[in-house]
Amino acid sequence: MSGAMRIVGVGLPRKDALEKVTGRVRYTADVDLPGMLHAKTLRSSRAHALIRSIDVTAAANAPGVRAVLTSKDVPSHYMAVYGYNIKDQPLVATDRVRYMGDIICAIAADTEEQAAAALALVSVAYDDLPVVATMEAALAADAPELFPEAPFGVVPGYGEGASAVMRPRKNVCYQFNYTTGPSSAFDVCDFVYEDVFRFSRMHHYHLEPFVTVASAREGRIEVWASNQNPFPLRKELARIFKVSESSVTVHVGTLGAGFGSKNNCKTEPVAVMLSLMTKRPVRFCLTMEENALTNTQHAAILKLKTGVMKDGILVARQSEILLDSGAYSDASPLVAEKAGYRIPGPYRWKHIDTACLCVMTNTAPAGPFRGFGGTQASWASESQLDMIARRLGLDPYDMRVKNMISLGEPFVPGESGMDSDLKEGLDLVCAEIGYHDKVKKPFFGKGISIGFKDGGGIKKAAQARVRILTNGDAIVNCSSVEMGQGIRTAMTQVVGEILQLPIERISAPAINTDHSPFCEGTNASSGVAVTGRAVAQAARDARQKVLDFAAMQLQCDASELSLENGVIVQGTGPNAQRHPMGPMVMGFYGGPGFEFTAEGFFMAPVDHRAPLESPCVFWEMGWGAAEVEVDIETGQVKVHKLVTSGDTGRSINPLVCKGQEDGAAVMGYGQAMFERMIYNDAGELLNIDPLIYRVPLAEDVPSHFVTITQQQGHGPGPFGAKGAGEATILPVASAIANAIEDAVGVRITELPITPERVLEALARKAKAELRS
Amino acid sequence: MIPMEIDFILNGRAVTGKVSGNLLLADYLREHLDLKGAKIGCSRGACGSCTVLVNNIPIAACSYFAFQLDGKSVLTIEGLERDTTLHDLQQAFIEHAAFQCGYCTSGMILVLKAMLDHEPNPSRDTVVEWISSNICRCTGYAQIIAAAEAIIAMRANTGPTEAVS
Repeated sequence: MSGAMRIVGVGLPRKDALEKVTGRVRYTADVDLPGMLHAKTLRSSRAHALIRSIDVTAAANAPGVRAVLTSKDVPSHYMAVYGYNIKDQPLVATDRVRYMGDIICAIAADTEEQAAAALALVSVAYDDLPVVATMEAALAADAPELFPEAPFGVVPGYGEGASAVMRPRKNVCYQFNYTTGPSSAFDVCDFVYEDVFRFSRMHHYHLEPFVTVASAREGRIEVWASNQNPFPLRKELARIFKVSESSVTVHVGTLGAGFGSKNNCKTEPVAVMLSLMTKRPVRFCLTMEENALTNTQHAAILKLKTGVMKDGILVARQSEILLDSGAYSDASPLVAEKAGYRIPGPYRWKHIDTACLCVMTNTAPAGPFRGFGGTQASWASESQLDMIARRLGLDPYDMRVKNMISLGEPFVPGESGMDSDLKEGLDLVCAEIGYHDKVKKPFFGKGISIGFKDGGGIKKAAQARVRILTNGDAIVNCSSVEMGQGIRTAMTQVVGEILQLPIERISAPAINTDHSPFCEGTNASSGVAVTGRAVAQAARDARQKVLDFAAMQLQCDASELSLENGVIVQGTGPNAQRHPMGPMVMGFYGGPGFEFTAEGFFMAPVDHRAPLESPCVFWEMGWGAAEVEVDIETGQVKVHKLVTSGDTGRSINPLVCKGQEDGAAVMGYGQAMFERMIYNDAGELLNIDPLIYRVPLAEDVPSHFVTITQQQGHGPGPFGAKGAGEATILPVASAIANAIEDAVGVRITELPITPERVLEALARKAKAELRS
Repeated sequence: MIPMEIDFILNGRAVTGKVSGNLLLADYLREHLDLKGAKIGCSRGACGSCTVLVNNIPIAACSYFAFQLDGKSVLTIEGLERDTTLHDLQQAFIEHAAFQCGYCTSGMILVLKAMLDHEPNPSRDTVVEWISSNICRCTGYAQIIAAAEAIIAMRANTGPTEAVS
């Protein structure tokens, strides 16, 4: 495209700017239907127990109560369990509870207060079972089995070298394996290092809660959902409630963020069930505490065995990753796939052997979280690479450069080529913190990291529709959900550039599954790189339809025509003739005008040679560098400089891209330094209260905090774009841990990097030095 | 509970309301007055999504009773626009993309409005200190700080614009 109007690549005001700065924007939490009831749920106070009895008599007679739901109210022909590829989470608990927070009973009442008051009248008798609050406890020989009977589930197809199995051992719902190259590669290594890393778990802390308004009657379900994946949700609701998929309508407007959590069923099934029972619309909105009990990131233990040559050449890596999946499988199998696949990092290997296990515990279910297993993998991989470099007496920068895959080189056999110049990115962040400066201040250190993940999803399909109206205004229909990442703005900019139309003249309406084009979901940073390709194709085809129509009217060849701001331009230069679309369209179609409509489609390629059966759409790379100062008296780590960088390929809107990279980096910073969900051995979440659970505030952000958006231009999306939004969470924790070792010679292998852990590591080092 | 009558200034206009003693300001604004710009995030006074200004001081409307408004003045995000003209902070938030999901935005803008009324020429550290009362999970704060700094620089050049109070 080389139109006169530059729209792509410009930091235009976001499409949702006015409604968001004026408070006029409406979220699902603001939906209010006539006659709407309010739902609240009773959640298990036990981490693991059999339910002996539930008495709801008093609650059912409480003021304002319209329905009380326990498992015996769910019709037996419903398939009242949900999940991704393993359906193990019940709509409400049946015979047992598996974590503190499991839903036992739900009440719909005229007001939320009445529903809450009635819940206090419900009495539950439990028979406690032994609790497995940690992965170690869950894997112990004498651990109780969380799922005595196997839930329904399927293993998806995999390509070369990859495989998976359900329930390979007790309390493991899924195991993903990937192998390439001969294991004999370990035999030729000069050194083999084994290290273990631990990764803590965060709560997504999206400010708009999980919330659904459902209006259902027999055979017909309509929901307004705060959900990233309206179409899979539609399918899941149809399956659970045994209605045709075409009888389910999902409305999705603007989300108050999600960070991965708002996938699959969350509040929807309970809201629909209560609406079916009461024949009234029901709103089910969680509190922040309940959000934390509904979906979390995966804590992890990552064991890496890495073989190298003495010059620092990487040879072989065997890894075992344990993901704390909590009480229900949710998206854990998919996260396991990605954590396992990404653990080698963006380097050349002769042998890779990975096992990633989803370990069930009596804690809140873990699911998709920004980074999707890549954050866990990058933490361990980039930490160990640095440790090995220091053990071999090499500069960690040199070791990375020596092993990194080049632009165009496949990550593993059958995969897509790397679409970023990794050294270019590394050099940028190194320059920003002065990594190569020789002067070293005592207790100061510098560290670097390269975060790595595949982006765009597996076999992901999306359709889009672009409609050019009588006067040239346009509507783009696509089902990428706006959850703050700016996707609706990006889509209008893509269409605007192709149609040479200001984005003020383009709308991107909210999603309604009855009318909106299919999209598998808004995840894996796929908005621009997958759905955006369908949108770009639709825009080009719709434009062509306008030009073909105009050519017929003007009795010329369409190649002589172009479209600019709703005007057909015939010829070029000063003699060009300009024909506004309106009169021409109405001259032919009459006063009501017309719409020129085109559909676009894109699907991530399918290829059995690729381990995940779909060569990755793009590589989402995140470079990081940190400068720290360690106080050896207190263990306090001060991060003086934090620099991260992603490569958007081409930024459709640079302001929006910068915001995504800033936000992801700060999320990673919180995880590195202090943020975590703390469980005790009884399976109790100790810091569930929002007053205690700590997320980064403005004052926590390092004073020298820089994000550098690279636009290397190799992306597969429209105008060379890749996806964005996850890259810069990946390298932060390892860059800081690497900087700490550079500063004071101790290695922190467990997140978050608290002063206590630093002091312990310093004490261990002092003791070891004393001995030698 | 016996409703009580309260007189207060709502977004510049004198208002009389009847509220029960346990009605929270957040619910009063959102459910009774249909001012939904204040958002409910945590309901615990931690996140700041429900921030409004009472006598030009940021407060968490989820942790404040409606009756406490009696004799006071409250400004919500809906009152910041004058006619159809955006407040310069709103304009700066647009220009700097100082929001993503937008759930914290009403609160952030109001906190900065109060800050600028109290300290017309604040340092960057002062900006950071003020907005640290509120949580934004999306932006990493950089673009919010950039928007605030742009206003501060602009006002230093042109003098303060009309302040809505």
